[in-house]
Amino acid sequence: MVELDYDIVIVGGGGAGLYAALWAAENTILKVAVITKVYPTRSHTGAAEGGINAVLTHSVGDSPEAHAYDTVKGSDFLADQDAVDIMCKMGAAVIYDIAHRGVPFSRRPDGRIAQRPFGGASFPRTCYAADKTGFYILQTLYEQCLKNNVTFFNEWFLLSIIHNGEKIEGITVWDIRNGGVHLIKTKAVILATGGHARVYWNRTSNALGNTGDGTAAALRAGLPLKDMEFIQFHPTGLAKTGILVTEGARGEGGYLRNKDGERFMKRYAPEKMELAPRDIVARAIQTEIDEGRGCGPNGDYICLDLTHLGEEKINERLPQTREHAILYEGVDPVKEPIPIAPTAHYSMGGIDADKLGRTPIKGLYAAGECACISVHGANRLGGNSLLDVLVYGRLTALEAVKYADEASETKPSAAKAKDDEKRILELMEASGKEKLADLRKELGNTMMKHFGVFREEKTMKEGLEKLMEIRERAKHVKVYDTSKKFNTDLVTVLEFLNLVDLAPTIAIPAIERKESRGAHARKDYPKRDDKNFLKHSVVKLKDDGSYELSWKPVTITKFPPEERKY
Amino acid sequence: METAILQVFRYDPEKDQAPYYKEYEVPVEGTLLNALLYIKDNLDSTLTFRAFCRSEVCGSCSVKVNGKTKLACKTPMKELVETWKGKPLRIEPLNHMKVIKDLVVDIDKPIEKMKTLIPWLVPDPRVVPTDPMHESIIYPEEMEAYKDQIHCMLCFSCYSACEAVADNDRYRGPFAFSKAYRFQVDRRDIETAKEKRIRYAISGGLWSCVQCQKCIYVCPKGVKPAEDIQNLRGQAVKKGFTDKPGARKLKHFVDWIYATGQINRLYLPEEVYGNKEAREKLTKAYTEMGVEVWEVPKPTKGLMKFRDIYLEILSKEDKALDLDFSHVRKIDRMVSEIFKADICTIVDRTHEEGRSSKGLISKLKGLLGGK
Ligand SMILES: Cc1cc2nc3c(=O)[nH]c(=O)nc-3n(C[C@H](O)[C@H](O)[C@H](O)COP(=O)(O)OP(=O)(O)OC[C@H]3O[C@@H](n4cnc5c(N)ncnc54)[C@H](O)[C@@H]3O)c2cc1C
Ligand code: SF4
Ligand code: SF4
Ligand code: FES
Repeated sequence: MVELDYDIVIVGGGGAGLYAALWAAENTILKVAVITKVYPTRSHTGAAEGGINAVLTHSVGDSPEAHAYDTVKGSDFLADQDAVDIMCKMGAAVIYDIAHRGVPFSRRPDGRIAQRPFGGASFPRTCYAADKTGFYILQTLYEQCLKNNVTFFNEWFLLSIIHNGEKIEGITVWDIRNGGVHLIKTKAVILATGGHARVYWNRTSNALGNTGDGTAAALRAGLPLKDMEFIQFHPTGLAKTGILVTEGARGEGGYLRNKDGERFMKRYAPEKMELAPRDIVARAIQTEIDEGRGCGPNGDYICLDLTHLGEEKINERLPQTREHAILYEGVDPVKEPIPIAPTAHYSMGGIDADKLGRTPIKGLYAAGECACISVHGANRLGGNSLLDVLVYGRLTALEAVKYADEASETKPSAAKAKDDEKRILELMEASGKEKLADLRKELGNTMMKHFGVFREEKTMKEGLEKLMEIRERAKHVKVYDTSKKFNTDLVTVLEFLNLVDLAPTIAIPAIERKESRGAHARKDYPKRDDKNFLKHSVVKLKDDGSYELSWKPVTITKFPPEERKY
Repeated sequence: METAILQVFRYDPEKDQAPYYKEYEVPVEGTLLNALLYIKDNLDSTLTFRAFCRSEVCGSCSVKVNGKTKLACKTPMKELVETWKGKPLRIEPLNHMKVIKDLVVDIDKPIEKMKTLIPWLVPDPRVVPTDPMHESIIYPEEMEAYKDQIHCMLCFSCYSACEAVADNDRYRGPFAFSKAYRFQVDRRDIETAKEKRIRYAISGGLWSCVQCQKCIYVCPKGVKPAEDIQNLRGQAVKKGFTDKPGARKLKHFVDWIYATGQINRLYLPEEVYGNKEAREKLTKAYTEMGVEVWEVPKPTKGLMKFRDIYLEILSKEDKALDLDFSHVRKIDRMVSEIFKADICTIVDRTHEEGRSSKGLISKLKGLLGGK
């Protein structure tokens, strides 16, 4: 076991982690390090295509208030309005900052940053860099971190968070490359470990490693998780893999058809048809599948038909969609419709943090998709996540610098590291009665079936029982690779166990939230119920391993709840 | 179900004395990454490789298939089976990097090498506002200059395929030069940084690239490092960084062709490598071979017109500054001395003799690829 000593440790090298690292590096002489399980430029932020929302100085007619209103409305009034206010006001500042650092935003002919309309926004305020916004942001931030000589511990895996009930003391990590548990003593920690949509294992648009590791470590360290029941489903994921088919495919005139060839959207959104908001389209598709009008031998997908657009238009406007459909689905959209189904896309819930990204433990912060500030409430608007990632990456960095500057040395005990070492050895000695791949698939299927696009008391309760059973069975999953170096068998098992711990934190509040709000759509309670549920759910893990649910008020400042209509 | 045999490179330095290949039968479905994941999930969980996004954006999953560099999540199994006609597919880690385990290689070294080329924007305060609430204006046309380079996802495929990396451990690698070049053509980047990048590029092996174009061929993202390297070389010469054999060779070509219409095989070794004895030795060798030798070629009739055309071609390519006129004057003086008259008189005289310069121009066109 190696012991390291830093002032600020940032866990995660995605958009949130890198921006935090950059702002910390530029604003302090304290010792800062970034721990990340994959090389920073490989983080999932790189997959974001659409863009990032912000009101810029040249956004005529638009205002941060209008952005805030759209965000709050989109959140189905569950977002905390003081936090939304901060985020929307900082929009221009972060966009200009990253543009000055080199992000190649697409430009208008007059040289200003171009903006386009996006779902749920009343003005065209989504800044974009071709169709690879997240990729360019991630690369640029990495370049800037190299410029500032940021210390990276690449391919290190966060295991546990150590605190004394009041203050953060350190973390333990697994060094993937060399093997071995290390204890890192630090005054401040920023968690920026990304989302957990991989809990829907086989039906998600997320990268293989979006397994909510930071969120699960926080949960195990006794920290509260907030609004975990809210998972955003994207209507069009490829049927076999869940990989995203961009909204642009419908924007360019693609049709959604059921097994009878019917353009069923006319029954759900007769005016907007395929272009209705994400959640409405996702529910329509799921309804068609659930009611037996799905396509294919198992009736488990819907067809996205682009054939009428013609080869030329498809090649010109949707080259990536065509390539992905051929590669990952084996279907050429020029000749045949693409099989699609809703796919788990974004985790609104996460580590409970306040409007500055602070958790209840001093010196511990959360930023990006792993955090629930909450600026997205029950439903995130497209393009708002990258903004959240940057704004809170920066704010938590400044908070952490302020705190670590004054905080005294910490003295984490080595006990946790010893425990982690033991846990890893035990995994290698487990019975192996359960097979990782099968159990993981079962977890994903259970989540999709019982806590998917539609939810209902009875099926959810059955689902929770299954999840608890999977949690028991997971103890028998074995790590077969016993070598120390680059043990990906171990890493995937650790990731799986994190998902297993997180699944009930989604299920429990989903059962108790007896209303429909944003992404949480209940068949048995189809209406929003502000009287009883205009509040955040909070889940904690107790020492005995059981989960505890409580509720917390929503901060409402300017915008009183009203019906969410488009 | 159709299946294929993968022969996968296995090596755990902790346990294995030497690398070996293990065979796995996998379904011919989806991509090579699917096949690797299939092995890990169903056949052998100890198989070690990197993968993350599974949709060709993160650059984690480059490997070699029967010697060819491939991005696993972008390579359909069907295509592999068809290309190799059902032969076993040998999956190996990338070249030029230390194997950590199985298909995982150590990428820290190429990243460190890249870092030496300042692969980041160093903003020029006259162009990029220091006030964070001020937008810096960039016209869409400007961004054309670096539209390909910004796609690099650090997958290291090109690094693995590169001849120059194989030859020279100090060579920074194709992608690194592309990353650097991206800022060389960004108006916002400060001149002093551009200058440094060139200097560091030269000491990082800029002239070692053999222009084999493999980097362009293997890049899954359409980056063209070999072209960027050529452009960097042009910039180096323009900025007067001419004390490297490659730069001197280019200078020799450009200047001699302009001055006389052809390169000078006697002076080449001296001017490029500083080899003073070469001229004498070559003269002797050529004579023994029965090849006509001349210190400098006799200027011909069309030379002045030729110079105009040549200069025009260089200008069109934005390479006019590559010409070193002081060198050209030196050559002219040599010519004058040998032919005992100043260059214009000689040209006039050959004009009277009525010789044609046609051959010269077509030769030149051939040399420049018909442009
Ligand atoms: C396909 C797709 C398209 C999207 N498009 C958009 C869009 O157009 N606009 C928008 O605003 N949002 C979009 N989103 C959402 C947005 O991309 C993400 O919410 C955002 O990028 C999350 O950034 P992050 O920094 O929080 O996390 P990530 O980028 O996921 O980074 C997480 C980091 O944490 C590290 N990490 C994780 N676990 C551990 C561990 N145990 N130990 C050490 N390190 C760890 C990882 O290595 C990684 O570096 C999209 C999402 C998807 C899936
Ligand atoms: S062209 Fe140059 S950089 Fe590219 S692979 Fe060949 S030697 Fe390497
Ligand atoms: S230039 Fe292309 S092949 Fe080379 S690292 Fe970048 S993306 Fe990969
Ligand atoms: S897994 Fe990301 S590029 Fe292949």
